[in-house]
Amino acid sequence: MGKTFGETAALAPVTLDVADGSFVAVVGPSGCGKSTLFNVIAGLLEPDEGEVRVAGVDVTGTTGHVGYMLQKDLLVPWRTVEDNITMAARLTRGVTPEDRAEARRVASGYGLGEFLRHYPSALSGGMRQRVALMRTLVTHQPLLLLDEPFGALDAQTRLEMQQWLLQVWRETGRTVLFITHDVDESIFLSDRILVMSPRPGRVVADLGNDLPRPRDLGTLVEPQFVTLKARIMSLLHEDLS
Amino acid sequence: MNRKTLLNVGVPLLSLVLLLLLWQGIVVVFHVAPYIAPRPMAAIRSVTDNWSTLWPLVLGTIRETVYGFACGAVLGLTLGAVMAKVGFLQRLVYPVLVLSQAVPTIALAAPLVLILGFGVGPKVVIVAWIVFFPVAVNVLDGLSHVDQDLVNLARVYGAPRWRTFVHIEVPASATPIFTGLKIGATYAVGGAIIGEFLGSEGASLAIFQEHANANFNTAAVYGTTMLMTVIGISWFLLVIGLETLATPWQRRSVARRYRWRR
Repeated sequence: MGKTFGETAALAPVTLDVADGSFVAVVGPSGCGKSTLFNVIAGLLEPDEGEVRVAGVDVTGTTGHVGYMLQKDLLVPWRTVEDNITMAARLTRGVTPEDRAEARRVASGYGLGEFLRHYPSALSGGMRQRVALMRTLVTHQPLLLLDEPFGALDAQTRLEMQQWLLQVWRETGRTVLFITHDVDESIFLSDRILVMSPRPGRVVADLGNDLPRPRDLGTLVEPQFVTLKARIMSLLHEDLS
Repeated sequence: MNRKTLLNVGVPLLSLVLLLLLWQGIVVVFHVAPYIAPRPMAAIRSVTDNWSTLWPLVLGTIRETVYGFACGAVLGLTLGAVMAKVGFLQRLVYPVLVLSQAVPTIALAAPLVLILGFGVGPKVVIVAWIVFFPVAVNVLDGLSHVDQDLVNLARVYGAPRWRTFVHIEVPASATPIFTGLKIGATYAVGGAIIGEFLGSEGASLAIFQEHANANFNTAAVYGTTMLMTVIGISWFLLVIGLETLATPWQRRSVARRYRWRR
């Protein structure tokens, strides 16, 4: 798939091609246009110039072609976990028994089978984000846009969620675009890292990341990890000064 | 009955008892003459003694209240939703809403009787007139303050606007919607009684009270007022019950059962 677009002021012209099934992290300080980039890809914003293509199809300015998840889990308090997972079906075409069966299967497979009938208010922050990711997965969109999904979690939970996300990504073969301002997180998760700088937002570096998988806690102290981190930090700081 | 229900039901009942005791105390301590204010038990007895006469009148008032409340609620919900969705209509309609509430209800009743006669019509219109305003304003407020990220999420899914409205915006506004309905419920009976005072085809609670007053039957005057209050409170409690049924997630952590499950 290929994406070419630009939005003035918030986002300088950016050209970006994302390979099928890859995990691309976008890292940068706040105000660098990361979220604008996502909103253009998702179709919430129209780019001033350029276009967005998913699997070769021009989807510029239209919605319904990506899975989308934010730092806010956006679970609705009036629906149970099961009904939150099936939310996309409810909002687009109506929920079928197959949708419910899939929601139960996914929730059970990822350890939330006992909470299907719970309301979100009964869940911890980490569990809520799990449900939010399941809701994103069952949309069956090949491209997932994750905008700092673990930003509000404590360090311990965040690490668990990162490992879980990698497992999900491996098992489902989706393409992931992952926004974060956490450099460690971007390296730990991705195949490729886009470093962005603010005002106007632009991509200042496009780095490959071939750290071996599967990754675990040991990955965080490997020389290759540290080298990559130093590189990204210097890019970010150079631009902040 | 567990401790929580005991607190939720017992304490409000206690406040009622204390209120009656206060009334009794004032009448006794200040030697208030029975034709000025009866003791609470006398007022209550005047209701129970006349129950066979009063019961049909109570039913009449309830009917006016129910019809009026239903009309007012539907009108309020519709107006609130339309104003929230169409900015132009909000600017056009909102001043009229405020204007409608600036009209003194009592001054409204006389022309309504001229137009609609002495039947149930004017009472229903007065109740609806009073009820629709808090409902419309709260619905408008609720729908205007739905989390935009949630609405955007629905857009990203490619949801049509009506589905977003039904499955996101309306349930997200449940609390303000019920606030409007509860305020409306509190005033609804008052509206029905105002309508009755201006004239009824047959007997009515308000007319019964006027007769009692003319006959210096002070206990019955107070008793009727208490009865009207009880109808008002019951109606309010009914709306609270409806809210409790409609919003289980506000009290429970686990759904009672799967709905619509095949």
